[in-house]
Amino acid sequence: MTKTFAGWRLIALYAGLSLIVVLLLLGSGVHPAVAGGRLWEGAFGSPQAWRGTLRQMMPLLFAGLSVFIGLRAGLFNIGAEGQLLIGALATATTALAVQGPLGMVLGLVVGVLAGAIWTLPAGLIKAYRGGHEVITTIMLNNIALLVTGALVAGPLKAPEKQMPTTPMLETQTRMPSLLRLDGNNGTVWTLGSPEDPGVREMGRLAFEMNLAIPLGIVLILAFGWWLARSVRGYEVCAMGENPVAARFAGVDTRRTTVAALAASGGAAGLGGALLVLGQEGRFFAGFSPGYGFDALGVAILAGSSPVGIVPAAFVFGALNKGALSLQVIDVPKGITGVILGLLIVAFAAARVREARSE
Amino acid sequence: MIDFVRIFLPTAVSLAAPLMLAAMGGYLSERSGVINIALEGKMLMAACAAALAAASSGNAAIGLLVGIAAALVMSLAHWLFTQTYKLDHIVSGMALNLVAVGGSNFLNKRFTDLSATGQIPQLPLPVYYVLAFGLPVILLVYTTRTRPGLRMLAVGSDPGKSRQMGVDPLRVRMLGLIGTGVFTGLAGVLIVSNAGRFTDGMTGGKGYIALAALILGRWRPVPAAAAALLFGMFEALQIQFQGTPLLGARLPSEFWLCIPYVVTIVAMAGLLGQSRAPAGLGKP
Repeated sequence: MTKTFAGWRLIALYAGLSLIVVLLLLGSGVHPAVAGGRLWEGAFGSPQAWRGTLRQMMPLLFAGLSVFIGLRAGLFNIGAEGQLLIGALATATTALAVQGPLGMVLGLVVGVLAGAIWTLPAGLIKAYRGGHEVITTIMLNNIALLVTGALVAGPLKAPEKQMPTTPMLETQTRMPSLLRLDGNNGTVWTLGSPEDPGVREMGRLAFEMNLAIPLGIVLILAFGWWLARSVRGYEVCAMGENPVAARFAGVDTRRTTVAALAASGGAAGLGGALLVLGQEGRFFAGFSPGYGFDALGVAILAGSSPVGIVPAAFVFGALNKGALSLQVIDVPKGITGVILGLLIVAFAAARVREARSE
Repeated sequence: MIDFVRIFLPTAVSLAAPLMLAAMGGYLSERSGVINIALEGKMLMAACAAALAAASSGNAAIGLLVGIAAALVMSLAHWLFTQTYKLDHIVSGMALNLVAVGGSNFLNKRFTDLSATGQIPQLPLPVYYVLAFGLPVILLVYTTRTRPGLRMLAVGSDPGKSRQMGVDPLRVRMLGLIGTGVFTGLAGVLIVSNAGRFTDGMTGGKGYIALAALILGRWRPVPAAAAALLFGMFEALQIQFQGTPLLGARLPSEFWLCIPYVVTIVAMAGLLGQSRAPAGLGKP
């Protein structure tokens, strides 16, 4: 048992981190209360704000689950960003080729598979060569960024567009809304009800939500259940705790490593797929503002239980959305990157202390 | 041939120099036992701080010093997180990268005076080249011939035994990370002074390529620097061949940019001989 650090050190750390945040707010050029208020308004102040927060939260739910799955198996999947990009591009390509609901379902499947396949080099190298998955997934991230960038600027580019982007998906290939709110008269549309064609165009759409977030929550709950109740789930946890002991206890750690990373990539790929089908309707250059990197923070914030991913993704989503409103009053959006980074440090430190004092 | 010497070689060297410097920074950190995926963030912070300081003071030396100081602060935070607070090295590295991306965006947007047209002064490049090529040799001598250097390698391979022998791993790692701060700081300053001004995310993955070079060089200074030089050459090739068809096909620039990452994965797969990390990497 390693000696842990004293309690006053944790307090000192928190004081230091808070001081940085205060300096940041003071240096933001606006009164800290104004900045804080804007952040809150931007994330929760109106149905539109809520819509934006949930849109930011959605991919983090899946990418967070992706990193979380890896962590349970004792693997650091830094590659969620790349897997999400590859999944999204594969989904967009599929859904453009096969239209309608069939294309949507097919797109989801292909997105998951593409994300999973993208982890195979990392999984196989870890399992059979012992090469650290952090390094390989970082390299795969960069390759994914370059490959998707080249494809969307080249063969997959919509010919009529100036920017590197695929064409838009047909409406019937995209995910339907579960809930819509008209900003003018408060009319609520739900799935299956006739939709006012002018809503989106006239800017009357106040709130909208599709099945992606409920799906993510169900998936997270199912994963938590599987992890706690199934033999395979137990094996994954055993390997995460102590791979050597797990191997001697009869766990096929090689296969489990490859499978866990593939599952992790599949979750990230699904996030990318749902971004295309449910939100963006296309793939374009600069598709992800760094969901896969925020996901690491989400997974750490989530703690030991997968259910924690949901509030963690919500916090990150709200901060990201709030940052966009801060930009309007000329506070750079980077402010939230700093806050998220410091949050990760704060939570990780508390967790180390918890784990060591047990 | 003249083109090769006059155009290609200087381009390749100027692209490789920051990679070589950052790889040496990574060397000092990883050989003393701290996994460093935050090279990227340290370079980015240094680039931003150097740009702000140089533009506001009009003095290249001040820019250089402030840039190095910024990377040094990041590096010391890294030490604090991993050694005092025992945070996971990957987690703290990622957190530092997030802070650097956000912080550099914040500082640059808030404090860059758009009305001032003052360019960031170009630093004398030969100094950097001497550093980039000299440093690996100096580090080789340092870690194989001097007492503190050998202690660093000892801590990096077995922190537990080193502690028993009376070498404090925490102090050794602090020295290592100070070196990382200085070298990644130099690399960041070089990048920004080459470009003339700071732009968001301008290090563009160079920190990760430097890490790749370090792994490809099997955590040894001279081979790592050679790998970094090679990667710089690939980048220069990309500029050279941009838009011109090669072997009948018009290759996108991304093809060339991918090469360092693909080569690293191939190396990790053991196809280029065994590549083994220092035994004490990431241990308390």
